[in-house]
Parts: sequence; C-alpha cells; structure tokens
Amino acid sequence: MIVDVNAYLGHFAFRRLRHNTAASLLALMDSKRIDKAVVSSVSAITYRNAQAGNEEVAEEVRGHSDRLIPFAVINPFYAGWQDDLQICREEFDITGLRLYPKWHNYQLSSPCCRELVNAATERGMVISIPIRVEDNRQRSWLLNIPDVPLEEIVELVKACPKARFILLNGIGYTGCPLGRRDNGLPSNYAIELSRLSAVLANELGQLITNLGAERVMFGTGMPFNYPDPALVKLEVLDASEADKEKIRSQNAMTWLRL
Amino acid sequence: MAIPQVISGPSVPQPRISRRAVLKGSAATAVAIGVAALPSACATVEQHVPGTSSGPLCKGKVIDCHAHLTHRSRATWEADDRKLIEAADKLGIDQLCCSTLTPRRPATADGFRECNRWTADGMRRFPGRVLGYCYVNPGYGREALEEIRRCVEERRFVGIKLYNEYTCTEPVVFPIVELATELGVPILHHASHSHYFVEDQPRMSDGGHLAELARRYPEAMLICAHISGGGDWEWTIKALRNVPSVLLDTSGSVTDEGTVEMAAAVVGVDRLVFGCDSSMTAGVGKIRGANLSAQDKEKILSGNMMRLLRRRKS
Repeated sequence: MIVDVNAYLGHFAFRRLRHNTAASLLALMDSKRIDKAVVSSVSAITYRNAQAGNEEVAEEVRGHSDRLIPFAVINPFYAGWQDDLQICREEFDITGLRLYPKWHNYQLSSPCCRELVNAATERGMVISIPIRVEDNRQRSWLLNIPDVPLEEIVELVKACPKARFILLNGIGYTGCPLGRRDNGLPSNYAIELSRLSAVLANELGQLITNLGAERVMFGTGMPFNYPDPALVKLEVLDASEADKEKIRSQNAMTWLRL
Repeated sequence: MAIPQVISGPSVPQPRISRRAVLKGSAATAVAIGVAALPSACATVEQHVPGTSSGPLCKGKVIDCHAHLTHRSRATWEADDRKLIEAADKLGIDQLCCSTLTPRRPATADGFRECNRWTADGMRRFPGRVLGYCYVNPGYGREALEEIRRCVEERRFVGIKLYNEYTCTEPVVFPIVELATELGVPILHHASHSHYFVEDQPRMSDGGHLAELARRYPEAMLICAHISGGGDWEWTIKALRNVPSVLLDTSGSVTDEGTVEMAAAVVGVDRLVFGCDSSMTAGVGKIRGANLSAQDKEKILSGNMMRLLRRRKS
C-alpha cells in the first residue's frame, strides 16, 4: 500500500499540468502503484475565492473516495472562510486543509490563521502546509512568492500543540529545530519526503534517526512533479522494511484515519 | 526482471537495491549501446566497471553528464566524494562526468588549476567511474587555454566545464570554444533563465546565449546545463529548438512533470543527455518517469553522451 499525502487536481496559473483530473491522476497512480492520494485544488492557490477550487475538487473526486482524499484550501483572510470550512467538512466530507500563507498573503502567526487552525483541529482535520508550490527561480514575471520559512512553522506547531500538521515540499529541516532530535517541540507534525535527499546528505535518513519513521510520510507532489523521484527515494533509502512501510502508508493511514 | 516498485507486503527484510536496478528500470528493454566500437581515444571512458556488464535490465551504460567532486577546502571532501560514488552505485549510474569548482567565483588561474588536479586525482581514485571536465575561467586567456590542453591531452579529461564568470557570448569565451572544437571535446556550460535579474550571477548564460554561441560555432559541442536547475525550463527548451548542435542536460533539483517529454518533443531525444548535478534521485526519477520509449531513454542515459565523446580528436 502506498499513500501519497501530496497530490493535486486542477489548473496552475503558470504552467500546464498533465494528469490533473481525477481520471488521469488515477491512471498515473495506477501506473506507479500508488493506492491513495490526498488531493487539493491547484486552482485555489491563485483563485481569489479559494472555495471555488474546493468545490471543483469535491466534484472531481466524487465516486473515487476510496482512493482520492480531498483536502480544502482555505484562506483565513477571505470573507466567509468559516462557512467554507463548515461546508468542506460537513457537506464535502473533507478531512484536511492545505494552507498557502505566502500565496494568500497572510502570516501563520496572525490571529485569523490561528483561528482557522483551531477551528479545523476541533473538527478533527489535519492541516498540511506546502513550503513551496514551485521552485522560485522559475517564477513568473508577475509575482515573487517566497517559501514559507521553517521558523514560522516552528512557532505554529508550538502555538497549536493539539493541531496536526503535515509539512509538504520542504527541505532543510535538519538545519532547524523541526528536524532535530529532542527539539522540545510537540510531536504534532509530520514531514513529507518529496524534496528530501535520500542519498548524499540523506536528510530523509537523518529525519528518521532524529524524529522516528513515524514522523515521515510519502508524497510526490504530482501532477506538478514526476512521482518517480519520490518512489526512487524510498527504494534507495537505507531503512528497515518496517520503517519504510510506515512511511509508505501506515503513518498517513493513521493520521487520516483511513 | 520487473522494474523495481514499492509494493505492499509483509514487513520482511528487503534485499539491498542493486546498483543498476533503479535506473535500469527506465530502459528495461532497451538495446545495448555499442561501446566496443568506440575509438581508442575514448579508452578512459570505456574502462570496464566491475558489476556493470551484465545488468539484468539494460546492457548499456548510464553516464551522468553533470557531476561535481567536492572542493578540498571542505573538511569532508573525501567522504563526500565517496558518497557520490555510493549514490551512483545505488542508482545504477556507471560513470559521472565531474568537475571540481572553486567555492567562490570568479576562479583564479591557481584556483581552477588546483581544482583540475583534484579532478584528475578523482579519476585515479575512482577509475572508470569519474570522467573529468576541465574547469577554467575564460578570463585568464592563455592560462585557461593551456590548462584545457593539459587536462584533455595529458590527463585524458573528456570535456570542459564553464561556469558563470562570463556570459558565453562574450568574446573572451570564443578561444575556449575554438580550442574545444579543435580537441573535439564538449563544453558543459552553466545556464539558467529566470524572469528577473539574478544578482549573484550577473553574467549567467541562458539557452538563448548558448543558441547564439552555437550559431557562431556550429561545430562546437555545447551542452546547456541543468534544464531542471530552477529557471524557466520551458523557455530554455524553446530557446534551443533551432540549434541542433546544442545538447540539453536534464539535471537539476526540479522534478516538474513533463519536462523531459517537452524537451524530447521540441529539440528531439537525440539532443538530451542525462545528468544529476548532485540531485541524484531527482535526476534518476525524472528519466524513469518520463513517458518515452526504452530506446529513447537509452539515448538520454548514455547513447547521446557517448556519441559526443567519440568525436574526440586526440
């Protein structure tokens, strides 16, 4: 069983994506033997009203709930986000969020964001945060969106110990408290591996050593990314099969109550 | 043997991933490259590598056209170099075309000469695995040319690495290109295209510059480095569409889906060469994931680079 906690549906404003419908993503997953994937709206990253993207995803995954697990993109500074959250959870049966603080121009430390995190946590939802959407060096001339600084994540996980976070598309965790052993932080976050090195610096191996395999999850970033680099990481990772199985699926299954 | 896949199952010990297994999954049915036909001038390239001649999935080589050895100002350089080879072992990469770069640029003549001595030493420490690129700063004129000649003719380096000291269309670069053409060796040129001014690399080249250089020197063998190195790869691929002498190196940390397929569609698969530039699983994974035939992947993984290396004249 492989569960991908980092997948997407929909259109990106700055590059054509393939495999971005439910049918085509499932076909790609089949070809890579990926069983389930957590998906959110790509369009909602740049839509002003992100809820429209959530509606698109909810419609798209209908009939595929055994394999595609929708997450909602919510902007806590946009009018009506509380209603959107309620609709996503109760009507769309969405069990998690994706937050884009830099793309949506707010601070993770802002009261509105904390309110959203708490409201989602009260509903039992997992909160994932993509550290980046794409490499900033290939950004459009229209904008310059920085990565989410890991220091801001540190403050968030400390401030919201009951929340559960999955950190996506990140790197450099071992250079900050998030990836260090005995870091004094709550164990309320897991790290997805799509950008982590599995050879040379082997940050993936270091995180398993420092935090435990229970805190690492498999993810690809498809259809932004080829899924294969993430699969290759698992293949070459010097870890026990039991640890690999946790990373492949068990951790995500537990967190997402699948 | 099937392509290695992560599959569900009981928690039993797995055999270690064999060298060749991972990348060879991308070319399971490919035709072997005719390595025996290479001229003797490429003997360095063709040294037998233990364990690579009978891969179950692919008899052809895998050559990383863009790799680096570690500068020895870094205390861990020796272990880092060993890790590079170990990573290549795990990923099924047979040979790595390596340069050693100065930590700060512009490089001085003493600086690039020292780097090249270390690269030559790397070729000795990892025989048959490390192929050398001679790194120079074109601004040193005669000294740079002498260093290239020494490295290619005496040390058997396979090519030249140019970084960002000068944009490749500046006249100071032309004698380097002319010498590379005379020697019949490729130039791997650092390149990227961003839609903003990259302040710390004011003279960085991009695909457009390389296209201009190729039009001036159509006989030169130019490799545009790391199309997945962070810049707008769609721009780079399109900028190089009409210059058949420029090859595109697939290395870089970016793993955007569709990159390799677009490059193959726009410039042709014969102009793509596999590389990692230290992003090892990214480099391997994007080739494995690309929706191309096994034969096409074989060309990218080694065939096209070997075709370049066969053009050596000494």
